[in-house]
Order: sequence, then C-alpha cells, then structure tokens
Amino acid sequence: MRLKGDDRMLRKMPAALVLTAALAMSVPLWAHHAFQAEFDDKKPVHLVGKVTKMEWINPHAWIHIDVTESDGKVTSWMVECGSPNIMLRRGFTKESLEFGSEIVVEGYRAKNGSNRANGSSVTFKDGRRLFVGGSNPDIPAEFRQ
Amino acid sequence: MTRRFFAVLIPIALAMPLAAQTKATWTPPKTPWGDPDLQGQWPAVANIPMQRPASFGTRAFLTDEELTQREQQAQRQQESDNEAFAKNGQSVTINPPSYWQERQKPNRQASLVVDPPNGRIPPMTPEGQKFVQSLRGGLGPGQHFPDKVDSWEDFDIYSRCITRGLVSSMLPTIYNFGNQIVQAPGFVVIRNEMIHEARVIPLDGRPHVGSGIRSYMGDPRGHWEGNTLVVETINFNDQTGAGGGFFSDAAKVTERFTRVAQDELSYDLTIDDPKTWTRSWTIHMPYRLDPSYNIYEYACHEGNYMMLDSLEAARQLEKEGKSTRVDRGAAGGPPPGNQNQ
Repeated sequence: MRLKGDDRMLRKMPAALVLTAALAMSVPLWAHHAFQAEFDDKKPVHLVGKVTKMEWINPHAWIHIDVTESDGKVTSWMVECGSPNIMLRRGFTKESLEFGSEIVVEGYRAKNGSNRANGSSVTFKDGRRLFVGGSNPDIPAEFRQ
Repeated sequence: MTRRFFAVLIPIALAMPLAAQTKATWTPPKTPWGDPDLQGQWPAVANIPMQRPASFGTRAFLTDEELTQREQQAQRQQESDNEAFAKNGQSVTINPPSYWQERQKPNRQASLVVDPPNGRIPPMTPEGQKFVQSLRGGLGPGQHFPDKVDSWEDFDIYSRCITRGLVSSMLPTIYNFGNQIVQAPGFVVIRNEMIHEARVIPLDGRPHVGSGIRSYMGDPRGHWEGNTLVVETINFNDQTGAGGGFFSDAAKVTERFTRVAQDELSYDLTIDDPKTWTRSWTIHMPYRLDPSYNIYEYACHEGNYMMLDSLEAARQLEKEGKSTRVDRGAAGGPPPGNQNQ
C-alpha cells in the first residue's frame, strides 16, 4: 500500500486513541494457527521455485514447489496459504496459479525441520502478489495480523 | 415514587433487545406450512467487540466521530488487503499475511454484550474460576497460542478443529462468517461455516434428552413466540463456554431470532449459568441477509498440519535437549489465552 496522507495522520494519533480503536476491533484477530509453535522465527527462508501441485485442503491450502539449489539439486517444499474458503471468495481459481509458474516465497521454516514454510509473502517474479493483499500494511501495530 | 419508578423502568429498557427498540412492526414472510420464514444466508457483517471499554459505561453506541474513525481504519485495511504488488524492502514477519482474513464493517453497536448494561461480561463465580483453573492439571484451559506443546490438549478445542462451542459458533471470527438457516416442518437447522456446525433443532415440543447425555453444542429445543424463534439449549459438556468461562451442568443458553426486516435478522443470546457467572448475560448480533454468500465446506481436521508440525517440533527439540517453550513475544504474537470467547 502506498503511503497516503491519512496514514501519516494516523501515526500522529495519540496513543490513547489508537488503543481505543484497537479495543474496538472485533474479537480474535489472529489466524487459526499457533504460528510460533509450528514455524521457527529464527529460520527465515527465501525460496524461488516452480509450482508442482496445489492442495486445496482445510484449514489451509498448500502450494507445492520444486526449488533448484545452486548445486542443481531439486528440493520439494510446501508453502502454506490461507483457507481455501477465503481464497475462493477472493476470486482465486485454478487459473490463478499454473503448474510450472515460478514464484518467490519469503517465509519461515517449520520447526520440525520438514520442508514446509509459511508463505508470509508469495509473489511472482515481476512483483505481483500471488494473492491480492498486503503483508505489512501501513497501519498501527495493534491492527496488524 | 417517580424516582423508584424510573429506577425500575430504565434497566428494563436497556435490557430489551436492541432491535426491538429500533424496529417497529415488520411482518416476515411465512413458510408454506405457516412458520415465520427465517431461511437464507446470514453472514456476520458487523465488526463489534465482545465487550466495550469500561470508560464507555452504559453508553451502548459509538459516537459519529468514533464510528468515522473506525470506518477510516477499515478502509485503510481494505486497501492493504487488495494490494496487488509487493512493496520493495517490505519486511516479512512470521505472522500470516493480512489477506488470510476476511473482515466485517465497523458498527455503531459498541459491544456484543448488551446486558449487563455496562456491556461487560459479569464476573465468574468462585466455583466457575476454580473449574477453569483445574483444567490441564492446574494449568488452565488449552490455548489457541500455547506456550508449550507437550500434548494436543495444550491447544484449545478450536485449534484442534473440534468446535468453537454454541456461543462462539454464532459469532464471527477471523474468516468464514457464514451462517445459514434452513427450515422444515417441525425443525430448524442452523449451519455455521467456521468448523462446519449444523444444529438440528426440533420444534415439536418433545422433551430434552436425559441429563446424562451431554455434548459440545448441547441439546436444543425451539418454539415460536409470535415471529420470534426461541431456542433453549441445555446439557452442555464442560468443554465449551464463553468469555473464558466453561459451562456447568446448570448452563442454559436461550437464543432469540427475529427477522426484523427483509434483510436483517436480530439475534439475542442469553447465558444463564449461576454456577459459572454471578448473573446472566446477553449478546446481541445483527445479521444481514446475503443470498450471494456461499458456505464452503470447512473440513478443518483433514489438513491440520499445524498440530502435527507443532507436536513433532517439540519432541525433536526435547531430543536435542533444547527448550520446547514457545516464545510468542519475539514474533509479536498475542498474549496467552484461549479463544473461548
């Protein structure tokens, strides 16, 4: 999101006002999953890979990609997405992601050492997001998901 | 005399369902067999906090200024959710991106809790508090964001894809706000998209099942009071509840569904559980008809890799002699607590 005038205003809002606004938000704001139990915040991953499979499963969909490492070795990874229900409602269809598409993933590796990662940011190489949506909006921390 | 009269009258007026105070007489359509027709998709569209800040007192609605402020914030969030290009140098956190969520619109209603009049959940009884503390061998209830993963029971039953319980299942959460009402002669079925609940409610006056038969969603019986569907539910097990408390064997939940306009369903839910809370309390939620809303299956357990990954990770760390404590703070996670609203 581009920085707009009202965002700069928001940063100057008195802390008490921001807190009031935070209290006004509806009940649980966090995702279904305990991310800190599943993923390791000390193991960020940067993956560039080609899509081999899409699992439309609940509670979260998973993209499978093959990552070719510098020595030519190919490793398969799974990248977590949102709920299939949300993705469908946002207009994500089977045409949105073709097999063989190259995507860039910024995320964190699963703590159990498996080749699974949460896809905090999933983009095509030209910078378009795989899904609509911003991962780091210019809004107060209280509102960040 | 006058003062005493108003002292009695005002709390009664405040306790009335909000819709009853604002909507006059609109006659809902009837089903072919003559019941008021409540059928349709009623997703939650309103973003209303469970409780209101203590500073609000008995003020049940936002001011114009407060509402505008929240609408502006929601607009900013909407723009962010719809971002199509990645921003250079954008930082990535371990938390999921914002587009994983669905959002509702700000609402003038200051809190879901409308009774007590201060919009706050009443205090728990000592017995209710004691039960909560007794769970997990004295650690309290399983949590949505546990600080240890020794067992699946360290997670709350929502994370375990079991249920959110009757109260929470009727309230919106992070996504899947769908609710559908389907009627047949003698029955009403209420579907909730999140954790795919489907409550089949008999309306034929049959008695409740025996007190020994207990379940997560309880045993519901419904009847009509004019155009209002009243559903009374008892026989909860002790694993669900609301507001951090858990239902005792004395719990009764009474729901009132009234279609107050073609596209608006007034919903009130009252919790009576004298063993758990010091008084009864009531939630009000306005649902909006949206025939275009599709409820998709949410077979939550089928791919719940989070559970497997988290348990495996903790066991692996144990083998390596490392701490298995989950540090939420470093990643900006939320404070401890379960999601039992």
